[in-house]
Amino acid sequence: MELKPQPGMAGTGVLERIEGRFGYATDQHHLPGLLHGAILRSRHAHARLLRVDTSRARLMPGVRAVVTAADVPGLNRFGIVVRDQPVLCEDRVRYEGDAIAAVAADTVEQARAALEVIDVDYAPLAVVDQAETAEQMSPLHGESNLLAREAFERGDTDAAFARCEVIVEHHYQTPRQMHAFMETEGGVAIPDNNGGVIFRVGCQSGHRDAEQLADILGLKPSQVTVEATPTGGAFGGKDELTIQPAAGILALQTGSPVLIHLDRFESCRTGIKRHPVSMIMTTGCDRQGRILAHRVDALLDTGAYASLGPAVLENFLDHATAPLYRIEAYSVSGRLVYTNNGVSGAFRGFGGNQATFAVESQIDALAEKLAMCPMELRRINLRTVDEPGSRGQVVRWTAPPSNVLAEAGASPLWAPAGSDLRRRWLTGTGMAMGAQGNGLGDGLPDSGGGRVSLTAEGRIRLEFGFSDYGQNLAEAITCLVCETLGCVAGDIDVVLGNSRGPDSGPTSASRSSVLIHGVLADILPRWNDCVRDQAAALTGLPRDQLHSGPGGLFAGGRQVLSYRELAEKGQPEQTLIDASQAFPVAPEGNQPVGRYLQLQISTVARVAVDRLTGRVRVTDLHHITAAGRVIYPPGYLGQIEGAAIMGLGMALSEDMPTRQGHYLADNLDQYIIPTMQDVPDQRVDVLDNTPTTDRFPVRGVGELGIEAVAPAICSAIEAATGIRVRHLPVDAGYLLAELCAQEETCS
Amino acid sequence: MTRHTQPEPCAPEQVTFELNGDVISQWVSPATTLLDILRGSGRITSARAGCRIGRCGACTVLLNGQAVPGCLVMAWQVSGGTVETVEGLAEDPDFVQVRDALATESALQCGYCTPGIAVSLVSGLRQQQNGDVVDLEEAVTGNLCRCTGYGGLKRAIAVLTEASSET
Amino acid sequence: MSDSLSNLNPVTARRAIRVLRPDSPDQAVSLARQFSASYTAGGTWLQPTHERDQCWPETLVALNSSWPGFRGLDAGPNGLTVGALTSLAELARQALIRDYLPPLAMFLNRVAGPGVRTLGTVGGNLIVGGDLSALAMALDVRVDVINHTGERALPFSRWLRERASDDLLRGFTIPDCRGWRISLEKLGYRERFSPTRATLACVHDGDRVRLAVSGEGGLLRLVATETFVNDRADLASGDVGAVIDRELAAHGWQDAHLRMALRRMTTELLSEVALGT
Repeated sequence: MELKPQPGMAGTGVLERIEGRFGYATDQHHLPGLLHGAILRSRHAHARLLRVDTSRARLMPGVRAVVTAADVPGLNRFGIVVRDQPVLCEDRVRYEGDAIAAVAADTVEQARAALEVIDVDYAPLAVVDQAETAEQMSPLHGESNLLAREAFERGDTDAAFARCEVIVEHHYQTPRQMHAFMETEGGVAIPDNNGGVIFRVGCQSGHRDAEQLADILGLKPSQVTVEATPTGGAFGGKDELTIQPAAGILALQTGSPVLIHLDRFESCRTGIKRHPVSMIMTTGCDRQGRILAHRVDALLDTGAYASLGPAVLENFLDHATAPLYRIEAYSVSGRLVYTNNGVSGAFRGFGGNQATFAVESQIDALAEKLAMCPMELRRINLRTVDEPGSRGQVVRWTAPPSNVLAEAGASPLWAPAGSDLRRRWLTGTGMAMGAQGNGLGDGLPDSGGGRVSLTAEGRIRLEFGFSDYGQNLAEAITCLVCETLGCVAGDIDVVLGNSRGPDSGPTSASRSSVLIHGVLADILPRWNDCVRDQAAALTGLPRDQLHSGPGGLFAGGRQVLSYRELAEKGQPEQTLIDASQAFPVAPEGNQPVGRYLQLQISTVARVAVDRLTGRVRVTDLHHITAAGRVIYPPGYLGQIEGAAIMGLGMALSEDMPTRQGHYLADNLDQYIIPTMQDVPDQRVDVLDNTPTTDRFPVRGVGELGIEAVAPAICSAIEAATGIRVRHLPVDAGYLLAELCAQEETCS
Repeated sequence: MTRHTQPEPCAPEQVTFELNGDVISQWVSPATTLLDILRGSGRITSARAGCRIGRCGACTVLLNGQAVPGCLVMAWQVSGGTVETVEGLAEDPDFVQVRDALATESALQCGYCTPGIAVSLVSGLRQQQNGDVVDLEEAVTGNLCRCTGYGGLKRAIAVLTEASSET
Repeated sequence: MSDSLSNLNPVTARRAIRVLRPDSPDQAVSLARQFSASYTAGGTWLQPTHERDQCWPETLVALNSSWPGFRGLDAGPNGLTVGALTSLAELARQALIRDYLPPLAMFLNRVAGPGVRTLGTVGGNLIVGGDLSALAMALDVRVDVINHTGERALPFSRWLRERASDDLLRGFTIPDCRGWRISLEKLGYRERFSPTRATLACVHDGDRVRLAVSGEGGLLRLVATETFVNDRADLASGDVGAVIDRELAAHGWQDAHLRMALRRMTTELLSEVALGT
């Protein structure tokens, strides 16, 4: 069924957003006594710090504080998985974004002017700028530049390869993509006058950030509050702490609120990126096309600090096992190495889409060698809903994979493109599939909670710890609450992302929707009972005749008590209900492995390749998603469309190459993301066979849309030109050279 | 110890312009960007520094009726002009039309780029009313949006285009 | 190794920039000489450049589009005169452009972005070797330049070689090219608002073909290619590609794949102007 946006479902805060009064983290210039902070970054990708002299900076006009490593009150380290990144470097810098000192001053200009007179003596060290040779270089941390190595094995891969009729082996490379959220990292740290600090910052996990910040600032956890404010995009790029530590230290030193807002140059230089992956994939099948053996050897460049690298490696490998396909034996391994090439970490897709790009390309390569239709090859190898997942785990799909494939086969995009394109443009259609798990996965602790209450004003308040950076979470919550309680949007307040509120866990890993649905299914019936009990006491009507509805409680088809009256006359404080639940990671009693809740997508792409220049235009994208129930259609559609265009950017234009550890792009004129005219028409069809009794009918779709776009585009390019591109982003020059070579052979 | 000497700031000049119907007069150095003047005024939050080099459109405002990136306009260029931002357009019929189309078609997610997009669309609609041929999809090519993939925006523009062809 | 920025070079902050606003073009020239200052008009090229390196010129001389001849289009017996301070957006809207240079209005959608076109001027685009410079070169426009020695008109290509630091571009005159066949193509990294990899202009004046390119390898009139095409070539032979490739490579176009694209773009544009399609 084609998903339509359903006009008129405008959500909360939409008008405020359009009218520019939504109050983003970096809009908070009105705070009394506000100071502006700035951070001194390393000029070298790798060096010893011999001397940091701030004496001149302290004398600069307007300067209120200058801090270095010596001024970090607590732990001078942060990082979600491994706390290995200095807040302010002590004796060594490991990438060009490393922070050395920070200044608070009356104006931004004064703060930046002061940075310029901080004298730093460096002794440059050899720059580790090639992931391939990183392990032979002197280590950035500890004993070796090998941060992690992991392998998943199943069956006897060598023996399985020996039985293969056809084997394909290729090298794949994916780019160091930048999140390029429109609001660069920023926010304020505000002293609370009791020795603690309140943060209003664009972030993805208030609770987790508060824990780390308490350690850094040498405060008790109760002294740090994170109020996640509306954030101008994140996509994983604000998962780690960004400006919070420096802002917090400066706020404590000065006793004043401190605002730090990175400009785009600094954001490009310091912000985390998507892991570039270099991998060799070998895949074999028998004469009938049954895939028997699969081997992956991958190298991920994690940059100077661990960040979420180890978790990205795990998710990459999980996807590299080809979760959609039944493969007798595989040996999938990856190495994660430190280099001085910035820092890589969380980014929508989280390693998975890099692997899927290669896996799907391999399927096409096998089909080509077998002279078989690539969709037919997929069909005979796809798992059924009853089979275990690629890692032997129980999997809950929301539709049979073969149905998702069949819908792709029926896409109107397989019809030839209009003839106006024919002369100059080579056109073609291709497809790819992808699977995407929900949740942090692989047995990592994963749980989250939420809260419902009736406010003194008679509003139904829902609180979750998730951050809002544009995913329409509030709208999804509102829709679910209205559906369950029969009330209307006007009855509901949604409060998100306060570290003092319920801890829902991080806003990542496509986990929010699943937890929201699960928690609401728990707390709303209990809340409803509680409210009906109170209403029964107040009205004298039997509880069984009362039910909640728009504006209040109803009996016999008419409203007998408004929520406001209930709040005034009843005991609203007793309506507060909290619940937390474990993220569904495995069926009861089973050991969690891989991803239990799985989604699927198939993406059909139609492209036009310019015969003259090799440049590629994607003219159409058609996605078939199987990701459970749609709660809020515009939100679902927006997530799929938005993620797909990120995938398109990664496929065609986005990369952050480095030279000697320095990024070669520093702003949006050099780092090229799609504009309105680069995007195709998109269509999203939703396939949902989830039984109504399923306990997890709602899944998170934040990452699904990016999964299969790049391989679908490359498949379409191959259909148009006969050339398969395996290194992203697609190099138009390479494609052109191949086209020319082809023409010469033909003529 | 010698105190570092910063270059002397250029003597501030008085820059007077109309902002959303009010006359604004400020003493600033002449190369200050309009974006910094607007945000420094404490009245404007809709124009945002996304890149500071005129490449993202998040600071788009109307200068003398035309959509421009505020970060590329210097104070001396604004003198005597009129500047409109979405804060001042709330009652403007073109803006209302644009706002409603963006809202009903869910043409936004995080919303950070949205005021700039709205300003570009208002400018496009006004040019159309002046008889110019303006493709609204072209009018927003300077406004980058990273969340939506522009799907909702395309639908909103279709609504606006249909409405303007009916009148 | 001491490395604070202040020791490396004096930093001129944005707030320290003096902007001089002369009353006349002559005064602009004399101020530019007196202060060794650059001119500024739209400022859309200057600002990103200096914002990136955070080192600004101390003084700018602001040009005024109300000075006579500096803005707008005027069709006369010698052709079409375009004021240098005409914005790119205004240029796209002019009916005269549709008469003289029919493909230009649509092409301008691919030059910068809408807001930048509103501020940015035609003169600025020519001076920085922007997308319009290839067309100006192929059309053999004559520029109208003012400096301390007076005012003169000369071919654009000659001016680029001889340009003095105080030269102030008032405008340029396009020969009467109505009826000529003109074709333009830009290759960027994306469909709109892209840095230019190469922009190619191909003009057939009824007698001869003229070709020019701007972009990564710099602005270049493809003289050898023109000679080959006009005087010796059988277009069908396809040898023109090798000539273009040699000429580009000899003039700083190092990227072989980009030259390959330009070969094919040139062949395409040549066929368009030759066939008049």
